[in-house]
Amino acid sequence: MNELLYQFAEWLYATPWSRAIEESFYLYNWIETTHVLTVMLSLGMLIFIDLRMLGWVMPQVSAVKIAQRLNTAMMIGFVIMFITGILLFYAKPTYTIQSIWFRIKMVLLLGAFVNALLFHKRMMSSAGSWDMEPKAPAHLRLGAALSLGLWAGVVTTGRLIAYDWFHCYRDLPAAMAWAAGCVAD
Amino acid sequence: MELLPLGFFEWAESSFLGYIGKTYGGIYATLGQSVHLISLAVLGGAVLVSDFRLLGWVLRDVPSEVVAEQAHKWFKIALFTIIASGVFMAAAIAIKLYYNAAYWAKMYALIAGVLFVFLVRRPLLRGDHSQINPWVLKLVAVASILVWVSVAATGRWIGFS
Repeated sequence: MNELLYQFAEWLYATPWSRAIEESFYLYNWIETTHVLTVMLSLGMLIFIDLRMLGWVMPQVSAVKIAQRLNTAMMIGFVIMFITGILLFYAKPTYTIQSIWFRIKMVLLLGAFVNALLFHKRMMSSAGSWDMEPKAPAHLRLGAALSLGLWAGVVTTGRLIAYDWFHCYRDLPAAMAWAAGCVAD
Repeated sequence: MELLPLGFFEWAESSFLGYIGKTYGGIYATLGQSVHLISLAVLGGAVLVSDFRLLGWVLRDVPSEVVAEQAHKWFKIALFTIIASGVFMAAAIAIKLYYNAAYWAKMYALIAGVLFVFLVRRPLLRGDHSQINPWVLKLVAVASILVWVSVAATGRWIGFS
């Protein structure tokens, strides 16, 4: 599996656009800047929705209304964030695919996505009964807290990708080398 | 133009805070950079929810006074955390920052943003919004978005300079 992923990364690395993005000081850095700026939009809106569920912001306003009204802006932010994220990966595929932080980030992203789907389904199925309460029911508050925790993890591991403390060219314990996706040269 | 002398930055880097950030990369990356980014997300949410409401893009059926009031609470928390984590990070690489143009651009943008919020935006939005010309509200929202996006963008470019 790791071998296959690395081969795919090597193939991406060899494509002209991958080289062009990484070698362009302004293009690469502006993609990264846009990726960070969209944190303000996507996570900013998401945090406000989660905080409302926890009863910490606008408790007098319908929780479902806040979730629905902020959804479009949040999704626009996420789309731009994912596009720029894919471009950043595309620019440095062989380094990133062997980053243990990137791999943890992907697992946390998947967790956040599944949590968001479950949260939305549960919120809509029970909306009428608690919508105007200052706090959402316990199971939704748990979902909101989990969402905040998972996204804090995504941001942290995303930031840590830049650090090579546990990269494959270092002397790593076998389990960590496997988790980072290290393959023999 | 630098706001503080080089001596201050030399002192900051040799301080206990500078020593911790410089010596322990894990603490610098998590308590400094990650907390800074997470606070940026909260600040972004507070600024954008409130400004998008003033522009009539979101929560049109919620009074803008309510949105502005609630968002401001979280703005203050986020700003405090951003400054605290920013000071910690800056102490570790203070001398390098003194010579970094993007750092000074960010400091000017941050000062402009803080002055704008506490001297213009907040006093204006504390009252009844129906008494304010709608175009003034929209102008304040656009200015606010521009200034805080500038703070975030120049902040990111510190690492590239």
